[in-house]
Parts: sequence; C-alpha cells; structure tokens
Amino acid sequence: MTNDAFALEASGLRKSFKDVQAVRGVDLRVVRGEVFGLLGPNGAGKTTTLEMLEGLVPPDSGEIRILGMDWRAQGAAIRTRIGVQFQSTELDDKVKVREALEMFGSFYPRARPPAELLRLLHLEEKAEAYQLRLSGGQRQRLAIGLALVNDPELVFLDEPTTGLDPQARQGLWELVRQLKGEGRTVLLTTHYMEEAEVLCDRVGIMDQGRILQSGTPRELIAGLRRPSVAEIEFLGNAPESASFAARLGMAVEAKGQVWSVRLEDAKKDLQSLLACIEAANLPMQQLHVRRASLEDVFLQQTGRSLRD
Amino acid sequence: MNARIFFQQVKMGLILYTRVPAALFWIVAFPVVMLLGLGTVFGGKDDTGPKLVWALAGPQSPADALLVAALAERGTVVDLASPDDAETRWRSGKLPLMLEGRDGRYSLRINTYLVAQAMQTEAAVQEAFLVAQSRARGLADPARVPVVMRSPGGHHGGPYAAYLLPGLLGLNLLMMGVFSTGIVDVTLRAKGGYKRLATTPLPRHVYLGAQLVVRIIVVLTAAALLMLVGALAFGIHNQGGYADLALVQILGAACFISLGYLLASFAQTPEVYSGIANLTFLPLMLLSGVYFSLDGAPAWLQGFSDLLPLTPLLRVLRAIFNDGDGLAAQWRGIAIVAAWTAALFAIATRRFKWV
Repeated sequence: MTNDAFALEASGLRKSFKDVQAVRGVDLRVVRGEVFGLLGPNGAGKTTTLEMLEGLVPPDSGEIRILGMDWRAQGAAIRTRIGVQFQSTELDDKVKVREALEMFGSFYPRARPPAELLRLLHLEEKAEAYQLRLSGGQRQRLAIGLALVNDPELVFLDEPTTGLDPQARQGLWELVRQLKGEGRTVLLTTHYMEEAEVLCDRVGIMDQGRILQSGTPRELIAGLRRPSVAEIEFLGNAPESASFAARLGMAVEAKGQVWSVRLEDAKKDLQSLLACIEAANLPMQQLHVRRASLEDVFLQQTGRSLRD
Repeated sequence: MNARIFFQQVKMGLILYTRVPAALFWIVAFPVVMLLGLGTVFGGKDDTGPKLVWALAGPQSPADALLVAALAERGTVVDLASPDDAETRWRSGKLPLMLEGRDGRYSLRINTYLVAQAMQTEAAVQEAFLVAQSRARGLADPARVPVVMRSPGGHHGGPYAAYLLPGLLGLNLLMMGVFSTGIVDVTLRAKGGYKRLATTPLPRHVYLGAQLVVRIIVVLTAAALLMLVGALAFGIHNQGGYADLALVQILGAACFISLGYLLASFAQTPEVYSGIANLTFLPLMLLSGVYFSLDGAPAWLQGFSDLLPLTPLLRVLRAIFNDGDGLAAQWRGIAIVAAWTAALFAIATRRFKWV
C-alpha cells in the first residue's frame, strides 16, 4: 500500500550484525515536504536505519519504499532522486570544493551548476580551496552541498551538526530550513534534542533499535505526564533532598547545584512547592519553571539520559 | 552518459595524482633515483676497478713488482700498506679480502661475510700471479680463454644499468599495485568514500575502470621518463618495439593492481594494510631478480621464484628491452603473467566490497 503523500515508508525493518541486533523492528513514514528527525543516543540504531533507507545495507526483513519505489527493482531511479550526507568526510584530501561539486554533478543526468551551490552553501570564497583546508562547519556544508547536486526530492542528513561549534550549527540549521522552504523532504538523525525541537516537523525517538514514540515535538512533550519542570538553584552544592521530597510528596532530582521537580499540573503543584520551600526555609538562590524538552521525553521513555 | 563520467573520473584521478608529491615520488622519481644510483655504483662507464689491500712488510722485491704490474693490467689497483695498517683496516670490517706475504710467497685472506664481493678480485690475483711467475722465468704469458661481452639476446652490449632498467619498470608496476592502489582502496572504504559513491548513480565498473586507466597512464609516464634517463645517462635504448613494451607493462599493471585490490580486501585499516603489503612486496621484489640475477640461489628457490608473477614479467621485459624480442618469442612468460592476472582479477572482483 503505497501512498503518494509519503516520501518514504518503511515497515518492520530489522537488521543484525553478527550477534548485535542493531535495528529491531522500525516503522517509519515521512510525509513529502516535512523535516523528520530520528532522535536518539549513539548506538540507538539511527545510522543503520538510515543506511537501510539509503539502499546501502539490505534489511534482514521489512519493506522500504522511497518516493514510491523499491530499492530492489528501481535502485538506479531512486539514486538519481535522493541526496545523502554522511557523518565522516569521505572525500580525497586534495580535492577542491568546486571540483567535488563538479565531480558529483557528473554522476547525474541533471546537475545543479557549482556556482549556484557555492552561493547556497556560502562557500564561494572557498571554491578553489582543498577540502582538507575547510573548517568543520564548511566541510559539513560541502557534504550537504554534495547531497544537493542532483536537486533531490528527498535528502538524508546523518548527524549534520555533530562536532560543530554553536555558530556553525546555526548556519546548518539555516540551510536545512532552506531545504524545507524549497519543498524538499528531509530525514535527519541527531542526538541533540534542541536541534530536533528547532528543526523538525516531526521526530521519532529511537533507542535500542526501536522507535519508541513519534510525533511533533509539541505533541510528544504535551503527552508527558509531567510536562513542566521546576528547577531550584542553590548557591554551592544542593542540600540533601530526601526529607524535602517526602514533605512535598513529589520526586526531587538533585544534580550539582540544582534540584529538579517534575510537575504534573504546573498551577497546582507549583503552589505546594512554594509552600514547602517556605516551610523548610530552603537556602535557595533562584527558582524557575520551564517546559519539558525532548530530553525529558527520552528520559521518561527510557529512564536514561540522551547523553549517557 | 557513462563515457562522460568515465572521462571526468580519469581527469580527476590524474589531477589528484599530481597533487600528492609523495605518491609521485615513489612511482615517478624513485625508479629514476635507483637507476642513477645503482647503475653508477655497479659498473657505470668509468669503472676504476676493484682495489686490493696488500699488507707488505719492507720494500718490494722484483717478483712483487711483477705481480703489481700484472694486477694493474687486469684493472686491479694495489693499495700497499704496512702489516699493522692493513690489520687495522681488516678489523674495521670493510675489506672483502687482503693480500699478505712477499716475494713469491703470498696468501689471500677472504672475509667470510663478503665472499661474493671478494671473488672477482681473487680471480684477478690468481691470474696475475700466474702471469708474474711466467714473466719471472722469461716465458710467454699463459694463454687465456678469450672473452666476448654480449647480452643474452645478443643485440645489445649494455652496462649493468641495462639489466637494471627493465627490472625497475616491472618493480614500478608492483609498487603501483600493492602500495598505491591497495592503500587508496582501504583508506577510501574506511573513510566511507565508497559508501558515499554507492548512494549515487555512479556505476562501480566505471569507477574501477577509471582507476585502472589513471594508474596505467601514470606508470607508462614513469616508464617513459625512466627510459629517457637511461638513454641520456647510460646510453641504453629499447631494442624491441615500444608497443610490445607498453602492452606487457599494461598486462603487468593489471596483474598487480588486481593483487592490490585483493590484498586490500583483507584489511580494515590502512595500518593493517601496510603490513600485509610489505609482507607481499618484499619477497616478490627480492626473489624476482629486479636488481641482480638469482642464478646463485638454490635451485628450489629459483624454481619457486619462476612461478611468481614478477619473475616472468621481468624476463619478458628484459627480452624486449635488451634483446629486441617480440611478444611471440616470449609467449611462455606472458602466459604465466596472464594466468596470474586472470586468477587475481577473478578473486579480487569476488572479494571487492563497494559498501
């Protein structure tokens, strides 16, 4: 059952390497024109899932349709219509930026002119520089540029901002937004929750080879039993929290200088929290309340932090 | 479409080659350096002949003078030293042999480590001694077996450099395959380069075909340069057909590039690969008579080395370059190399992993 509204459909994907089950049953649908993020820690199976969808690794079982086509029958046709960016730099050190764009362009029946891509990537000044001499952010932009030479309808980005400084990351986010603006479908993986929240229309939270939950970031957060978090900050290390938690009747997580209390009903729970603080005469510095993040979604789904 | 990709790949491959000085050095400059270096050390044009240290106590007798003269006629320069001096030099370990005694009662001391180097001088001393004895008795010099200098094919009376040059042509093909090709393959796979290409419509055979053509162009260019240097420095020229020489080199390149891809399929990282490559390269180089003939080696070793791909390849290259043979006359060696190429290509293709 294929549907033209989906750029990508996968069901029941499984893949094992020797005795490691990397992917254990992934179902995924990406709507045309959306940015979909696979969010999960390292080793969650994101890259293997992506490589199956890119036609690099045949799944042990499961079905994949890319732009309505099947890898086994129409691989060549799919390749001309997708763009792929990898985590590592896979180019020869001594290839120049313009040459790389020209070379990848030569693989396709129709290719975008290097000048146009250089402008899009803000790499005009680096056109004649060796790939080796680019900064991390420039290299990632080039990698994305190579994924765009064939004017693809569906773009795969594997951890596009890993290892970049905040400014370079902003630049890449801008680029991804532009891709969406041009009507392309983007499937990206990341282990930065804020990246997923900022960039993705929908995210799938992945852990241990499965997608645990998927939806818009807002839906996922709203679906939490405790969608708000109160953070109490102390000057110096936070005091022992068990007696306070007992009095409050809610869990208190102590980490460094901060206590975090997850609130089920922000209005009601915050009042009792304030009352308890008053009664215990806590030597606190600050109190603030924030919306729960995808990190909290992951934590509540798996009991583990994303960065562990 | 594929033709366009192919030419783009070949062009890019050649450009990248020129940007890596280390790669160019090993393939283009290294053989030239070897030819000039070894060709000069081992019998270039102005050979001064071997030197002989003679530990002589006291002045020369008339018999001693006759020996010195006879040695000089045979191109051996005598270096007279006091016994103490000579002993010191002997202990330094550099002397292959040393002459002792005086006035007709001589002995030769030969360094067991350097027997091969000492043999030529020893023969000259023995001959000169016979001549000196005859002259001392007023007799005619003893007759010698006449010597004619010719190359095996009889067309070319070249120096050692003429033996060496075709050897270097063949060695270069081995280096191109085992080092340059294999290491690039392993590195590209480890970096994910092949994976990236696999997501594009670039056909695998077009990519590999272009790699092969780039490498053949590079080795043939290096061969042309080496032959030019050989002609200018040593006056040696190809006695056979250039097309034949090129065809045999292309066959050799195909053989060793297949070998490179095959070896690369056993290594995950460049570090592991360099071990595997050296383990293959060194025996092939040492056993195949690149620099010297293996004639003195045990028969079983020679028989073994005849079955390796480099030995027959070098024999064919020498037959063409030095003796002007055609391909038909060398069909046996060509067949052995072709059989190796077919086998290596088949296994390498089967083991080659694009992703």
